Amino acid sequence: MSVLSRVAERTYWLGRYLERGDATGRLVTVNANLLMDLPVRVPLGWHPLIVITGSEALFEQLYGAGGDAASERNVCRFLTADARNPGAIVSSLAGARDNARNIRERVPSVTFEYINELHLFARSALPAATSRTRRGDALNGISRRVQQLEGFLSQNMLHDAHWELLRLGNHIERADMTTRIIDVRSANLFASHHDLAPFADIQWRSVLRSAYAMQSYNASVRGPVTAPRALEFLFKDERLPRSYLRCLRSVRRSLSALPRRRQPARLCNAAIEMIETTDVGRLGEPGKAAALHDFIDKCQLRLGQMHDAIVSAYFDYS
Amino acid sequence: MPVNWRQYRAEGCYDELVTATGRARPGAGRLLATLARLSNDELRERRTAAEIAIRTMGITFTVYDGAANIDREWPFDIVPRLIRREEWDEIARGLKQRVRALNAFINDTYHSRRFLGEGLMPEDYILKSREYQRRCVGIDPPHGVWAHVCGSDLVRDADGTFYVLEDNLRVPSGVSYMLENRAVMKRVFPELFEDYGIHPVDDYPALLAATLRSLAPEVEQPRIAVLTPGIHNSAYFEHAYLAREMAADLVEGQDLTVGADERVYMKTIDGPARVDVIYRRIDDTFLDPKAFRPDSLLGVPGLIRAWQKGNVALANAPGCGVADDKAIYTFVPDMIRYYLGEEPILPNVPTYRCAEKESRDHVLDNLADLVVKPANESGGYGILIGPHSTRKERDECARAVRANPRNFVAQPMLKLSTAPTLVGGNAMEPRHLDLRPFVLSGERIEVTTGGLTRVALRKGSTVVNSSQGGGSKDTWVVEREGGALDGQDAP
Repeated sequence: MSVLSRVAERTYWLGRYLERGDATGRLVTVNANLLMDLPVRVPLGWHPLIVITGSEALFEQLYGAGGDAASERNVCRFLTADARNPGAIVSSLAGARDNARNIRERVPSVTFEYINELHLFARSALPAATSRTRRGDALNGISRRVQQLEGFLSQNMLHDAHWELLRLGNHIERADMTTRIIDVRSANLFASHHDLAPFADIQWRSVLRSAYAMQSYNASVRGPVTAPRALEFLFKDERLPRSYLRCLRSVRRSLSALPRRRQPARLCNAAIEMIETTDVGRLGEPGKAAALHDFIDKCQLRLGQMHDAIVSAYFDYS
Repeated sequence: MPVNWRQYRAEGCYDELVTATGRARPGAGRLLATLARLSNDELRERRTAAEIAIRTMGITFTVYDGAANIDREWPFDIVPRLIRREEWDEIARGLKQRVRALNAFINDTYHSRRFLGEGLMPEDYILKSREYQRRCVGIDPPHGVWAHVCGSDLVRDADGTFYVLEDNLRVPSGVSYMLENRAVMKRVFPELFEDYGIHPVDDYPALLAATLRSLAPEVEQPRIAVLTPGIHNSAYFEHAYLAREMAADLVEGQDLTVGADERVYMKTIDGPARVDVIYRRIDDTFLDPKAFRPDSLLGVPGLIRAWQKGNVALANAPGCGVADDKAIYTFVPDMIRYYLGEEPILPNVPTYRCAEKESRDHVLDNLADLVVKPANESGGYGILIGPHSTRKERDECARAVRANPRNFVAQPMLKLSTAPTLVGGNAMEPRHLDLRPFVLSGERIEVTTGGLTRVALRKGSTVVNSSQGGGSKDTWVVEREGGALDGQDAP
């Protein structure tokens, strides 16, 4: 039975919002960990997160423009509990709930219960995320619930076109967020010259940890954490569920189960080819921070084009 | 203190569970005994369990509050309402009879109007009904059935007789709550489901799907869609629920188009896909901007034309609301006699037609004792409850009646039956209730087992609508108990 376009769109966005809610928490966590690992004299802060999430204008409007505005407290609130920010975790999960509500006849019936619970939890727990000591519990609580939910869907939902659309949303968002998590590090480095060189490896460990990839890295790469290796791993290791390339391959697999995939599949293949032919390790070498940031921009642009192609193939054709 | 049924009294009303002398009604003994065994804390725990179940299951309804729509959790009382199986069977027969007659009447209305020709009803009742649709004249829907889903409201008066209060034939809602109430009850009182022979209700979605399929044009595997006004509609929860349970598509007007071939298609990821049956949950006037309101954004241009050509089935059929009118309601007993040649099994509430001068004068002279209803509203809106009204409200009502007498009926104030309801944490007090069973008509005719019991949660109130402070109870159709408690004193 073919899927209603509107339902397809909702399902796709459910996948995106769930992933975004989880990954935004990781962005906050990786930045907090990075800052803890750095010497105090380094003038780094929280503003890069605002840049990376592309929300400078809104942030400025809500919290002001001065250097003080981008305090840990403000940025954390903005990215987690501030419902005025459509990219805040609480908004992503409200979006997930809203989409799930619209397709509740299409997903296992308890799905909505779980998402509803997740949303209620987010609303009550996230205000604590501005506090350093309580942030971990709140963000971990969200992460755990999102992953339980995704596990539940994977095990219980019929793996039909709805499922593929959900995964499509999941993986496009995940690929995007993996590049943003890497970008946190590059942006910080970018902003702070080479004072940080001695700490580079420590920082890459933080990045890996926030992508749930530290343990995997140790098990598979078996060597000290270096920037080139960490980048290779996060961008291209196909065994790593959150690697950019792995996510793209998942997108391609989902598309192959869907009709009318010509345009999005073509873009997906092109993105895969770009990552396969790029030596991302080299972007981790000293002095390459700007090049890395540009490359990340290119990856995100390709994801954006894929998204547009999906929209016009399935949701918004005439 | 645990519940003491001997102290429970429903003054002047028929109570569904407890007799006037504080004894259990047949079938209710074990339920009352179970409730009486629970301590206050345990009762509270059960109630909390129900609230949690409702919250986590996301059972909500939407109320309109000015510009905003607010989602509220479904108000539910943990004490079920019981109906004995033998009594229910009789009610079900009465409902089927009633709906058969109503469908015959609607079909007649849009064809030869024999009923009018025989002088059984003045022509104005039909031609001046807001729900009469000229475009439906001469249409032959499958099986001659127009009202495929009917929700009739039943009330029980002080003498224990069930009356039909009104028939909802347009887009009656509530059946999903009937199903969810049962699911909640099973979580809250699992032990009672082991003890009792409670008839299941959960075959409804399958029966509805079969009814809808029986309307489809000749196709291999008919595709069914539930047409909803969208997530902001007060009954959206139900639309989604039924679509899911029937494995039908839940569509909004924007998802559907009518092709040059005058068939209905929905927009899917594979391209346009044909739709054969639409269970529409939007009012006639919003169905098709070409046929009705040009400003409607909810509808599907050309839908009525496709339906007239027989390319798609609409349930309920457009125009069937003509029999939903509360003035037309007064003629249902005559319809049963005329079309079926039978005596009505279920009585109407005695009703005055304000269009008739003698009745109107009586109504206007006795507004303080009567319930006055507009013929075409739903959801309990626009009703004057005489005994609870102010002088000003009665004056306004009298003006409205005089201005458009055809649009009003009046009924005596019934003493609605009650059932014990948990109030304030641990007190059992009688609260008034009604019952909305659902009747499905297609190739066959089916009735839900029981229905949705709605209860007025405010003391003394008879307004059961959830939008106005009403709640609900699970409705059990039970086999007669063989147990020792039956018919004995409740402990």
